[in-house]
Formats: sequence, C-alpha cells, structure tokens
Amino acid sequence: MNKKILSNVLFYIAVVLIALVVLFPFLWMLSSSFKTQVDIISWPPKLFFEPTLANYRKVFEEQDFLKYFINSTIVGGFAVALSLLLGLPAAYSIARFAQKKLAVFILLARLMPGISFLMPWYIIFSRLDLMDSYVALVLSHMLIALPIVVWIMSSYFEAIPRELEESAMVDGATRQHAFLAIILPLSGPGIITATTLSFIFSWNNFMFSQVLSMEKTKTLPIAVYNFLSYAEVDWGGVMAAAVAIMAPAIALTMIFQKYVVKGLTMGAVKG
Amino acid sequence: MASVVLKNVVKRFGSTTAVDNLSIEIKDKEFAVLVGSSGCGKSTALRMIAGLETITSGEIYIGDTRVNDMPPRERDVAMVFQNYALYPHMSVRENMGFGLKIRKLSDKEIDERVREAADILGLNELLDRKPKELSGGQRQRVAVGRAIVRKPKVFLFDEPLSNLDAKLRVAMRAEISKLHRRLEATIVYVTHDQVEAMTMADRIFIMSKGVLQQSGAPMEVYSRPVNRFVAGFIGSPAMNFIDATLVRGDGGLIVDAESFKVALPEAFNASLAGYVGRQIVFGVRPEDMALAGNGVSGEQNILTARAEVVELLGSEVFVYLSCGRHSIVARMEVPDRAIEVGDTLQVALKMPKTHVFDKDTSLTIA
Repeated sequence: MNKKILSNVLFYIAVVLIALVVLFPFLWMLSSSFKTQVDIISWPPKLFFEPTLANYRKVFEEQDFLKYFINSTIVGGFAVALSLLLGLPAAYSIARFAQKKLAVFILLARLMPGISFLMPWYIIFSRLDLMDSYVALVLSHMLIALPIVVWIMSSYFEAIPRELEESAMVDGATRQHAFLAIILPLSGPGIITATTLSFIFSWNNFMFSQVLSMEKTKTLPIAVYNFLSYAEVDWGGVMAAAVAIMAPAIALTMIFQKYVVKGLTMGAVKG
Repeated sequence: MASVVLKNVVKRFGSTTAVDNLSIEIKDKEFAVLVGSSGCGKSTALRMIAGLETITSGEIYIGDTRVNDMPPRERDVAMVFQNYALYPHMSVRENMGFGLKIRKLSDKEIDERVREAADILGLNELLDRKPKELSGGQRQRVAVGRAIVRKPKVFLFDEPLSNLDAKLRVAMRAEISKLHRRLEATIVYVTHDQVEAMTMADRIFIMSKGVLQQSGAPMEVYSRPVNRFVAGFIGSPAMNFIDATLVRGDGGLIVDAESFKVALPEAFNASLAGYVGRQIVFGVRPEDMALAGNGVSGEQNILTARAEVVELLGSEVFVYLSCGRHSIVARMEVPDRAIEVGDTLQVALKMPKTHVFDKDTSLTIA
C-alpha cells in the first residue's frame, strides 16, 4: 500500500518536472508579454510586476497584425485544402495497393531540410514572376501539409475493413464512388487530425514565407521578426506577437485534441 | 438467375497457388456449397466469381457471359461477407437501398423493395437503426437483405454464419435454406463447416490445397467419398482410419489390423483383388459402429476394445476406444447399462458401410 503511494508521488513529481521544463519557455513568454522592456531585462527576473498591455497595443496598432493573420489563414487554408484533395486519394491508394515505396518517397520529401528546396524555388518563382504571391506560398506550404495528410490518412484507411468498399463495389459502385460514399464518411477523425496538424505546421512555418514573401503575402511568424531591428530588440513586442500567433494554434489543438490523439495513436498501433 | 461456370481457373499469389485448375459447373437455381479447411482456396474462388480477385488463367461464366475482365459492379452478383460489411454511417434502410440507389432506381421502387426484403427477414422495426445498434444476428439479416433487394443473378455467401453463436447459426442455416427455396436463386456458399455444407447444399464442392477433391449431392459425398481427405472431412466425428493388411480368408477378404480382424462383404471383392497381401487403410465412420448384439449382427465384424473416454450427449454417446495400437471413435445410441471408462466392449461394425483406401495414393478403392 505504502509502496503504491510512494510510486504515485514519484510519478507526479516526474510529471511536474517534465511539465515545468516543457512549459517554462511558454510561461516566460506569456509573462514577458505583459512586462515593460525594463522589467523584461532586469536581473534577477521579476516574478511580481505591474502588468501592461502596451506590447499588445503595439502589435495590433503599429503592426498590421490583422493583415498577417489573414495571410497566414489564406496560405494555411489553401495549402491544407489542396493537400487533402491530393493526399486523401494518394493515402487511399497507398493503403489499399501496398505502395510502400511511394509512401517512403513522400516521407523523404518531408525529412529533407526545407531550406534545400528554397534555392530552386526562389529561382523558379522569380522567373515565373510569382514572388510575393499566394500561389508560391501555398505551393511551398504544401510540402509541409501533404506528407502529414498522406501519412496519417494511409494508416487510418488501412484500419478500415476492405470488405466495406468491396461490398460497395459488388453492390454496383466504382472504386472511386466507394471511396467517396463509404470510406471518406468514415474517416472524419483521421481527416480532422491531419487537417489540424498540417494547418498548425503551416501556421508556424517561418522559413518559406521569409524567403518567398514580401510585404503583400507576409505571414504571422514574419511579423514577429519585424520587432527585431538593428538598433534594438523590442522583447515585449516580440513576446506579445508570439502569444497572439500561438493562440489560434493552441485553441485548435485544444478543440480537436480528442481526435488528434485518436488519429495519431491509430497510426501508431498500425505501425 | 443464372448458372455459374468455372473452367480451369487458376489463381496464383506470387509463387503460391491458391486455386489450382478449378473447374466447376453450378446450375441455375442450385445451392452450391464450397467447403474445405481454411486456406483451401474456397474464398479465393468465390472472390474471383465476384470479381474482387483477378484470375491468373482460366475462364468464368455467369449465365452465358464470360466475366473474366468485368468489374464486380457489372457482374450482377450480390455478396454477403463474413463480417457483414455493413456501412456503419448508414441506417439499415440506406444500407439495403445503397445498391439500388447506384442503379438509379426511383425512390418509390427502392422503398418498395427494401420493405419487401424487410418483410421476408423480419427487419421492419429496425429500418431506421444504425448497424452498431444491432445484434450480430440482426446485422447478418441486414447483410442478407442488402443482397436480396438487388435481385441479382447469383448470390455469393462468404462464411456468413461463422461470426454467430451456435444457436443462432442453426436458426440462420434453416432460414437461408428457406430463402433459397423462396427466391429460387442460384447461391454459391463458402464455409469451412461441413455441417452447414451437408444441411444446406444441393451440391457440395470439397476443396483442399486449391484443388477440387469431389463434388456431388451431400449424401453422395458422405457415402461414397473419392479419397481419404473427403472421407475424413465430411462427417462428425471424423471417420476412423486404421492401418491394416488385406488378407484372403475362408469366405472372402479379411482386414487384418493385428488387434482385430474383420471380414469385408463380398461386394468389395472385385475392386480389392489386386490388394491382397498389401497394406491398406481401413475406414469406418463412428456412426457405423454399435455395441455387439445391439441390432448389428454377424460374426466376423466384431472388435474388442477398451473405453478410454466416454462423452454422453444425451441422445447418443461418443466412446473413444483403444484397440491394440489403434484409437477408434464410436458414436452410438446410449445403451441401457451405462458405459464406464475402462470397460471392455464388444463393438460391431456395419461392414457394408466401411471403406478401404490405398495407403500410398489415399484414393478410395472400395
């Protein structure tokens, strides 16, 4: 009995320690976003301070935050939508026709450092006069979203019994019809997982927008970067902007976490 | 309705041959059962008829149409799967109407046909439920209903009863037989359960390792199995196989199994002439044995054995006997005096119903 209590206590100590390590930067960011520049750089760090909303005011008034927010939403939204359009049939085909090599190839594209794509993209998009266009950004963000969709959905489809679409095909459906009428409606949780994760990864992406976008299509992470100037770093502004950027991602995750966990473990169990 | 013909059909998966040169002819309105142990190729054969599996070589005809290269949807067959394969997101009504909707029937006609099938299967109360709200037996009915609303040329059943409990299985067995008579449908039914095969089939096709062993009416394959596999597969408990030597005795041929000797009827003489003095396998069904003096008479048909295990089933009793080095199962009426473990019994064999197999080829000789 005592042993059980002890092991419980140790377990929760470990949980708290891990949570502290993981959450510390987040808490630091959150508290700093309400501090003045002086409070932020003071040593030792101030645990108690007079909170200010000046940083947030700066983010939303001086910076065109709403524009960047819309840009991020457009880029993420289209990248995810197009990735679903291409990725769902691809994942289905990988699941049903055992196209393992193709699946690995898609994963490889994801594992290669994104920066190695940037140079050719830069040249291609400049020649096509597509720099600072949504088209270029959406295409580049599909490199992030598509592999996630394919990988999550192919293991999800594998878990759906083949007999369902075979039955539909004997009943008179083409394979495409069976996919649309039977398989897709059963894939809700998987699609929500893939959508949430790929949207968040696109939302958080910094590098592609930094290179491929200019004033018109700049996305949110670049906006944070705006607070870093040669003269000084406006830490309060950076932190407030970071909080504002993270909020939608965290909200999405919390709303859909039930599905995300289910979708991810489903893939994990299937190997 | 239509006939189904397979001509020299072969299916290979890589280097393994799942179905080897299978030729069968199922007549219009016939209830054909493909039976065999798992991996014998029966399900693959069925899936090839449905079009869910391609054919490596050979030809398949449904009616007069060669369907080798036809997709499943054009073959006009309906299939009932082992796991029912009901569409989980659709109600019973939508499940049953799915195939009709694809074929662009009017809503009114779909409704009529679904109602008709629901009447036959007793599903009227369940039409608006989802599959997950149904019991196993009800799901099975819906799967059957989805097949019959289509009014297809051929019904294909792939082990439809194996997920049901024993009692329900017996009930559904009778119901499917009844349905067959009512619809006058051509049915190809796959099962590993020889009882299902015996009770439902017009004709049984017994397969082993991808090869058709024998086909025929249930009683025909039961009483005249062509080889040892069929003899052992049909019947429960399985036929006893006893290694023995065939010798010539005073009146005719004698099976000498060391621990007992029994005389074969005269009718066996002609076909066994060449086997005198050779090793053979002697086959006797458990149900063709009885306690001596219990309706089976004779002198040279009795063996003496010790009861090792006695299983009382109420109306009958299974006795596991040891007789020298042989283990033999007997299925008998319950005698007035109970059989105890360790009893020494005089067991009489119904010799005209016994079988003799070639020891090397396993083929039936007599």
